[in-house]
Amino acid sequence: MAALSGRSPWRRGWLPALQLVRRGSKAVTRHWKAMHFQRQKLMAVTEYVAPRPAVPPRCLAPTEEDPQEDNGYARLLRRQVQEVFRDNRMIAICQYNSMPGEDMMLMRHYLRKHNIEVKFVLNEIVRPVLSQSKYRNLLPLFVARNILLVSPETKAREMLRVLRGVPQINLLGACIDDTILSRQGVESFAKLPSLETAQGQALGALGLLPSQTSSVLQRCSAHLTALLDQHIRQLQDKETGSQAEPSPAPQSSGTH
Amino acid sequence: MWRWRLLPAGRGPGGLTVPRAGLKKFQQPPDYSGIVLPERTKLKFLEKVPAVPKVKREPRQLRDIRGPSREATDFTQGQYGILALGGGYLHWGHLEMIRLTIGRCMNPKTTFAIWRVPAPCKPLTRKSLGHRMGGGKGPIDRYVTPVRSGRLLLELGGRCEFGEVEPFLMQVAKKLPFPAVPVSRDSLSRMRQELEEKRLNNQNPWTFERVVTANMLGMRKYLSPYDLRFQGRYWGKFFLKHRV
Repeated sequence: MAALSGRSPWRRGWLPALQLVRRGSKAVTRHWKAMHFQRQKLMAVTEYVAPRPAVPPRCLAPTEEDPQEDNGYARLLRRQVQEVFRDNRMIAICQYNSMPGEDMMLMRHYLRKHNIEVKFVLNEIVRPVLSQSKYRNLLPLFVARNILLVSPETKAREMLRVLRGVPQINLLGACIDDTILSRQGVESFAKLPSLETAQGQALGALGLLPSQTSSVLQRCSAHLTALLDQHIRQLQDKETGSQAEPSPAPQSSGTH
Repeated sequence: MWRWRLLPAGRGPGGLTVPRAGLKKFQQPPDYSGIVLPERTKLKFLEKVPAVPKVKREPRQLRDIRGPSREATDFTQGQYGILALGGGYLHWGHLEMIRLTIGRCMNPKTTFAIWRVPAPCKPLTRKSLGHRMGGGKGPIDRYVTPVRSGRLLLELGGRCEFGEVEPFLMQVAKKLPFPAVPVSRDSLSRMRQELEEKRLNNQNPWTFERVVTANMLGMRKYLSPYDLRFQGRYWGKFFLKHRV
């Protein structure tokens, strides 16, 4: 009643000056102090709600960050591969299955005798190098474990002979003098004669017709020359015979 | 340098995948050129009782536990440390445990550790056991250091990586009377960044801050004036990590 007897009845609410603590525990307690229900509701309403994209991220294509190749070692290996492809005439790619160390050593020894080197290459190094060079068509061969047999000469027959004795190495293909050959191509290349014999055969074939022509043209004069030589010989024989017996020489000369 | 990657041979649309070796990527070792080790690398011994013990008994003042910390929130010299995620009192036993464990696990020649927390200075009283209420305030029982949440307790630095240091820091952090976590400079800045991002991309239009500052629905009747400052992230001595 006393509060209502003012000019305007109960204009605004009031908070007590001294807040009586009914429950007995202070603000900071060792245990988890129970919150007023209204406060619990407020905490529940004002919780963090995470953003939900329209398309879930696992439905989108994964953005793969390209690893920056600042690795000096990788650069060195790539440079080595480029040099190999530049300096060698014959490069054969073979599948490499694991084989005993001593067999490997023997194979390398036999190949070294024919000046063929065995190089181990990593696909992740070779593939970018080849894709940017003119040997693009060799890319499908560089899958799984493989080795390169490189040589500045093209001794395919010896290489095939050595590889035939090693069942764990299978020839996939080769690049000989900038020509890509398959396995069958390499085998037929090996069966070819060497360059010098091939050159000699070609020259021989080419020179066959002119030599025939020259022999045909010279046949008459050669024949005449042969006949005259024979005649001279007969005359000489006759002279020697007439010196021994001086009578039958003029009769035989009249008939020729 | 070959690195064998043991991939199980799996079937895919392209065929059978064969395990293959890849190139080992060598990483540069970390550069420790700018690090200067102080003379005494191990943690200093902290006294149980201050040199001048307090005569006057102090009121409890639990507000030195409540809310976020204003001092020792950032790194000064070291790279790694322990961050307190709740409020509490550290007494001499805790400090000795920290000092001895860190001293045992770190290499004094390559790493150093410094305290970011002072020696116990706040006196706590305790009444003797078995007596009834009354008879005045009890005598001083022990001294403690108050710690608020968000404060660094110690810093570790030197020629070491976080992976080397984390195990024994975690070992220490688990034994503290409040939740604590080992941090490095990077992880602390990342934590703060994530909090900022959460605050920005919160989809809930109703935030504690908004409700309290506008006193929506008369909520301030059920909240403390401190909640204006704490914004619902602190309750008593506890720090609510999941709240934004």
